[in-house]
Amino acid sequence: MSVIKVEQLKKVFKGKEVVKGISFELNKGRCVALLGPNGAGKTTTLRMLSGLLKPSNGSIKFQEKNALNDIRYSIGYLPQYPVFHSWMSGKEFLMYVGELAYLSKKEANERAEELLKKVAIDDAKNQRISKYSGGMKQRLGIAQAMMHKPKLLMLDEPVSSLDPIGRREVLTLMEELKEETTILFSTHILGDAEEICDDLLLLHHGEILESGSIDDLRKRHQSPKFELSLRDSANKYVDKIERLESVNTIVLEKGELHIFVNDIARARAEILTKAVQEDWPIVKFELSRTSLEDLFMKVVQS
Amino acid sequence: MQDFTNGSIEDLVEFLPIIAPLILIQLILMIIAIISLIKADDTNGPKPIWAVIIVFLTFIGPILYFIVGRRQS
Amino acid sequence: MQWKTIFMKELLEDWRSYKWIWVPLVFILFCIMDPLSTYYLPQIIQAVGGLPDGAVIDIPETEPEMAIMMSLTQMSMLGVLVVIAITMGVIAGERKSGVAELILVKPVRYVTYILAKWSAKLLLVFVSYLVGMLASWYYVNLLFGEITIIEFFSLFLFYFVWLIFVVTLTVFYNTMMKVPGLVLTSTVITIMAMSVLNQIFSFRLPWLPNSISEHITTMLTEGSIPNELWMASAITLGLSLILLLFSRYIFQTKEMAE
Repeated sequence: MSVIKVEQLKKVFKGKEVVKGISFELNKGRCVALLGPNGAGKTTTLRMLSGLLKPSNGSIKFQEKNALNDIRYSIGYLPQYPVFHSWMSGKEFLMYVGELAYLSKKEANERAEELLKKVAIDDAKNQRISKYSGGMKQRLGIAQAMMHKPKLLMLDEPVSSLDPIGRREVLTLMEELKEETTILFSTHILGDAEEICDDLLLLHHGEILESGSIDDLRKRHQSPKFELSLRDSANKYVDKIERLESVNTIVLEKGELHIFVNDIARARAEILTKAVQEDWPIVKFELSRTSLEDLFMKVVQS
Repeated sequence: MQDFTNGSIEDLVEFLPIIAPLILIQLILMIIAIISLIKADDTNGPKPIWAVIIVFLTFIGPILYFIVGRRQS
Repeated sequence: MQWKTIFMKELLEDWRSYKWIWVPLVFILFCIMDPLSTYYLPQIIQAVGGLPDGAVIDIPETEPEMAIMMSLTQMSMLGVLVVIAITMGVIAGERKSGVAELILVKPVRYVTYILAKWSAKLLLVFVSYLVGMLASWYYVNLLFGEITIIEFFSLFLFYFVWLIFVVTLTVFYNTMMKVPGLVLTSTVITIMAMSVLNQIFSFRLPWLPNSISEHITTMLTEGSIPNELWMASAITLGLSLILLLFSRYIFQTKEMAE
């Protein structure tokens, strides 16, 4: 069952289309990564879903209507660089946003205590937020987004500004939160997405290039490829190989050529013939299979 | 000598009603401004300079600090 | 209930940033400064060296009504500036720092958000102004002569109408811009422009907001409330209401992130 359905969502800033009419659905209880390089339109998309930005076009529909008829009631949102009222204590801030989401004082108090334990800032709950470390602020940010038990939790690059320890803490926390709610989080790191997510939305230049469950995507993109490295600059071979009929695309990565093909036998014959004819200084020629990493690299480089 | 003392006490008695409330206000303003300055994590401009302004500019110093010196968020 | 949550948070913030202490103190200072120095002028002249021999100190007697009006004159200049300064960041500051991004994704009604902040600042201004004027009233009664309770409260409340307008105008600019300094400048310029308009048209349009303090003077000297004062107050309150409606409209059409 889907939690939220987005259709033809578009955002134009000063004549430039940042998000170009994207459509997707998020299924209940899934953890979805919005993956894409910087500038792909991830933050803009999340801000539109949270109501901070008004879409230029398209619709965002929550399947379950809430009593207030306000989508903000159903979502929890953590911006990439959360700023708090730093003169408040962590607990005061949680209670404040909880009451803003129509919790009673008593409910807000209980929920704040529960979340403070969960995000492990219980010890510092009465300290002023200005004294918190970056990792603590990020975890407090997740707690404030969870105060009113939203149907959908949206996190904008929740781990990218953290050190390895803080990053591990937040990823573990997200793993736990998956049990409670549907999660949509943006990242530009494939590894983070693969580690904790079920589904993937690959966003690039404001368009969704791929979407689906990570397992499906892995299978779908396991097409054969050859990895070729040469003693001299690989650059000058790109054109030559690209011209071959059996070759789909070619990507240059760390001096190594990744040649994507359909028909393994034919491609091998063509490439090797060419190599022998022109006496290429081949160091390595290997058959392998593509991974999500390749897909992501292909997208980012194109 | 005696004349001088008498004069100054008279002056003091004469001016007490005007000066006393003003001194009190200045004193409280200065103290809370200094407390706030010490506790502040971040100020617009260096703290020592603000301390000098608060202490030496009567009335204006603390007011200026509260309006421009404190950085809130 | 949401209103109360934001209202209480504002009061707490103003308390922790010492506004609830310094603003009343500063208003007391503004209000008693001129009546006191006027009364003690002869002594002050004496103390700073006196007048040359033969010169006669001839200071006209100050009526109690004039003395208490001195407090309002100071409020109109320095007091209003402080009111604008403590209100300039009430919404703009939260948007500039980015806290608004956390607050406004909660199901907060924008009207409630604006009104709660507006009323919290109004309460701070009201209490500070009351304390300041009570101090002034005390000294004026002591040094110049009696101002009755009725006189005091009518001048106090009529002038408060002007302060309501100042707070509302500042809140209005808060919904338009993100930089508190710009809010301050815009508000001050608007009030100055209105004051020029008032000076030009006061003869024909004697009920512009800036004319309130002139009418209060008339009220004190004549002993009755002039019609123009009622008119000016009603118009000032009406303008404040319109500004609040506009604030709500502007805020709703505004994008909360860029």
